[in-house]
Amino acid sequence: MVQAAHSAKPGHKAVRVGTDGSAWVEGYRCHACGASFPEATMACRACASRTRPAPFRASTRGALYTWSVVHRSYPGIAVPFISAIVDLDDGLSLKGTLRGVAPEGLASGMRVRLVMDDAGGAKDSEGTAYVGFHFEAAGEQA
Amino acid sequence: MSDAFIAGADMIAFGRYPDRTYYELGAEATLLALDDCGLSIKDVGAVYASSCFNAMSMLGQKVLKEIGQTGVPCINVSNACASGATAVREAAMAVRSGMVDVALAVGSEKNPRGMLGGAPAFGPPVEGLFGSESMPAVFAEAGMVHANLYGTTLEQFAQVAVKNHHHATMNPKAAYRKETPLEEVLASEMIAWPLTKLMCSANVDGAAAVIIVSEKKAREMGMGRMVRIRGSVLTSDPYESRNPEMFDASSVTRLAAAQAYEMAGLGPEDLDLVELHDCFATAEILHYENLQLCGPGEAGRLIDSGATALGGRIPVNVSGGLLSKGHPIGATGVANIVEIVEHLRGEAGARQVEGAKIGLAHVLGFGAASGVHILEKA
Repeated sequence: MVQAAHSAKPGHKAVRVGTDGSAWVEGYRCHACGASFPEATMACRACASRTRPAPFRASTRGALYTWSVVHRSYPGIAVPFISAIVDLDDGLSLKGTLRGVAPEGLASGMRVRLVMDDAGGAKDSEGTAYVGFHFEAAGEQA
Repeated sequence: MSDAFIAGADMIAFGRYPDRTYYELGAEATLLALDDCGLSIKDVGAVYASSCFNAMSMLGQKVLKEIGQTGVPCINVSNACASGATAVREAAMAVRSGMVDVALAVGSEKNPRGMLGGAPAFGPPVEGLFGSESMPAVFAEAGMVHANLYGTTLEQFAQVAVKNHHHATMNPKAAYRKETPLEEVLASEMIAWPLTKLMCSANVDGAAAVIIVSEKKAREMGMGRMVRIRGSVLTSDPYESRNPEMFDASSVTRLAAAQAYEMAGLGPEDLDLVELHDCFATAEILHYENLQLCGPGEAGRLIDSGATALGGRIPVNVSGGLLSKGHPIGATGVANIVEIVEHLRGEAGARQVEGAKIGLAHVLGFGAASGVHILEKA
């Protein structure tokens, strides 16, 4: 896990930054039905249990579910890049950019790693760095 | 509740209207629909007006300021790309409940230019950093699920665009009326694999309107050109584990289709034509299965067979669809009902589905909403 600077802040709704500067992705899981979500909700969106889904530190391993190779995006965005949907091993699904893999090598079920990063060097208006994440090939068998 | 009938239905030609306002377009479509059935705005008891990008602008009232301020309730609805179907369903319910004998559903839109998609709600711009929020990428990802499961090919997705662009050549109100052979679709700019530019919907302006009447009113007017609303359903997205990280185009549509077939007492085998939400070529493939036009995994073979082309077993998007007729967001869900009505009346000209008695119109709103209407020649 990349150590982010103390002053860094989450650059994505699911990113958390600890007081020691460590960063991770947080999911929320329903006690009643086990469904997990990338954001806090008031009750479970799957089963409507009124017990608030509880936060958990997401797995950094998962499998590629689907993707698109994006060749045209909004003005100023570097292309091409791979937009990927990944099912992490603990049930949380996330959208992110998959890096370091040739498009022709992509396959559903391919093992990937969740890697924390500096959100492309993005900073807020006061110069505070953001923490982000991306996916890379895990180099392990499914 | 009593039945509701579509008495009047029409639309303006979709395209670019730089010198006109969105409410002028809506007012023109309304007058066309009123003239189509010989009614006046003074006969209309309630107005349901649909827009996405002008959702908070009081579209219905602005339309009445153009053509007659009768003081009737205006209900302005917005439900992403399902806004138009939402307005039609609400108008039909107002009539079926007995509240009014005549209701107007009008959808109007001047789309913003450029590629449509989400704006960042939090932190740095997400595009490229955390995948893509653009609509082409979202529907490309959905299509790749089908490709990964069933081996659906780029060519099969592309054939949807070939077919719908061909259909549009027979529709004088389509925004683009030009043949696009397979090689041209494949050679056009790659936007988000497997979607090329010609496999993305046409971002244009437009308006459409329908006049919905009670059975009593329909009998007074004469049943000759009436179309009965057999099914009228709106759903929101049920829980699915990857949604909303991955947009789920399918669950919400399947739910709406199942409910609409049940309400109508009909099945997919009873349909003579379908207008479905081909916002991207991949989406049409998914919706063949979601609307039960074929079994799971069979959509690639269905497009290959020619069954969904004009003259085939179940013609889909003979209007040209969103890909070629165009996709002015708030008008789309009304316009595809207008298309079905024209076929059921036998008034669709060169693209007429011969002998059409029953048709289905489907839309899908990102976020998500799905509207399905099943219509029958009265």
